[in-house]
Amino acid sequence: MNDGFLAYLQQLELIAFFSGYPLVYAISYVIAGNTKIKKSFVSFLIPGLPFSYALLGILYLGLQLKNLYPDYSLANIKSHIQYPYLVIWALLAILFFLPVFRKKNQLTLIHSFAFFALILIDLFKQFSTGNVIVQNDMKVYSFSLLLNCCTLLVLTTIFFFYNFSKKKAKS
Amino acid sequence: MKRFNNKLLMIILLIISGYGIISSCTHKDQVLPAAVSTAVKITRGNHIHLPGLTAGDTTQWKFDKVHSAVNWSTPFLEVGADLTGKFNQFGVADLSNNTKLQNYVTAAQPLPDTSWAFYENQPDKTHFAGYVQINQVNTGEPARDGGCLITTLATTKIVPGTQNLTVTNVAQIKTTSVTFDPAGNDYIVVFNFTWQGGLAAPITESITGKLTYVPEAVVPAGTYSDFGLTLAFQINKADFGIVSTETADKIDIVINANFNNK
Repeated sequence: MNDGFLAYLQQLELIAFFSGYPLVYAISYVIAGNTKIKKSFVSFLIPGLPFSYALLGILYLGLQLKNLYPDYSLANIKSHIQYPYLVIWALLAILFFLPVFRKKNQLTLIHSFAFFALILIDLFKQFSTGNVIVQNDMKVYSFSLLLNCCTLLVLTTIFFFYNFSKKKAKS
Repeated sequence: MKRFNNKLLMIILLIISGYGIISSCTHKDQVLPAAVSTAVKITRGNHIHLPGLTAGDTTQWKFDKVHSAVNWSTPFLEVGADLTGKFNQFGVADLSNNTKLQNYVTAAQPLPDTSWAFYENQPDKTHFAGYVQINQVNTGEPARDGGCLITTLATTKIVPGTQNLTVTNVAQIKTTSVTFDPAGNDYIVVFNFTWQGGLAAPITESITGKLTYVPEAVVPAGTYSDFGLTLAFQINKADFGIVSTETADKIDIVINANFNNK
């Protein structure tokens, strides 16, 4: 099932979607912790985190569906998916839309560490295999940071304006 | 405490990310791969094909008239889609010796098709001469072919059982130079095209065409080999005194010749 180049491409896909999340998570907490103003824009960063993470899961699912199109048979899925456990783990991110998982932000961090670990493994591997793979990983990691920042900022903006309009309606 | 933990996490992640970026840095600009070559890849073999008439001698190549054709096309009424046709009788024989220009009472081509030689890698040695019988024009419309076209092409009707190789009824070609085509695997052929047409006497024009060699290969049945030559060129019918608004002046001619060593 693990077919060299295809497997590596799928690993890059996973890195691109999820490995940037831990850093975005940590920075969001530090920024939100430093703000003194309640109900400011940054205070919406923390509740936005699990939503943004679940949204990444949806986007990842969309990519997999696009890759599998038009044959969604089990045989094709089996032949296409090189890291079935990692892919299932990635798709579990969608569950963070559910309130029961959403309330515990730390779970998103733990979940995403599985994908950050892929970079760590390549960082260690470079001592024996050279830094070409790390070069690739870091490029994809940069895009991952950008993607994670964008999804979080979009959702935070939506929450902020939703809250703002709700508050205005009440008053 | 919690904030401290998040700060610590952020610092650790930044250190790891920074280390990744620094360790992946080569301090060199990435060199772009070399551009794809746009040069035409020319490959030529060393085939030499010489004519002969001895059946069964595989070193001698025979012109396969039955599987060859002289086709022409020109826009109908000078503006429309192409009007196409071919000549039913033609040969690879040199008629430049005028004594050969006569009527032959025979059903087949009267002259041996041996006025040619082909050297794949020595085009200066390649040469050929050939002819078509103009009244054997075939557009698939018998009334036209045996009627108005005969008048337009200034020739005479077919006499059954006779091969009309008289001066008014043949158009001839004879190569003067064959060179490699620098743009591809083909050859540039300069040849004399001689035809009387609607004029009082034949004229000879020097014309340039493109010759394509289809390399020798054993036929699927595996009993003999075959190779092909395709010559494409253009003539201006007005140069030969042909007046007709039915077709354009420029006429494209493609000769597909097959040879075998049966």
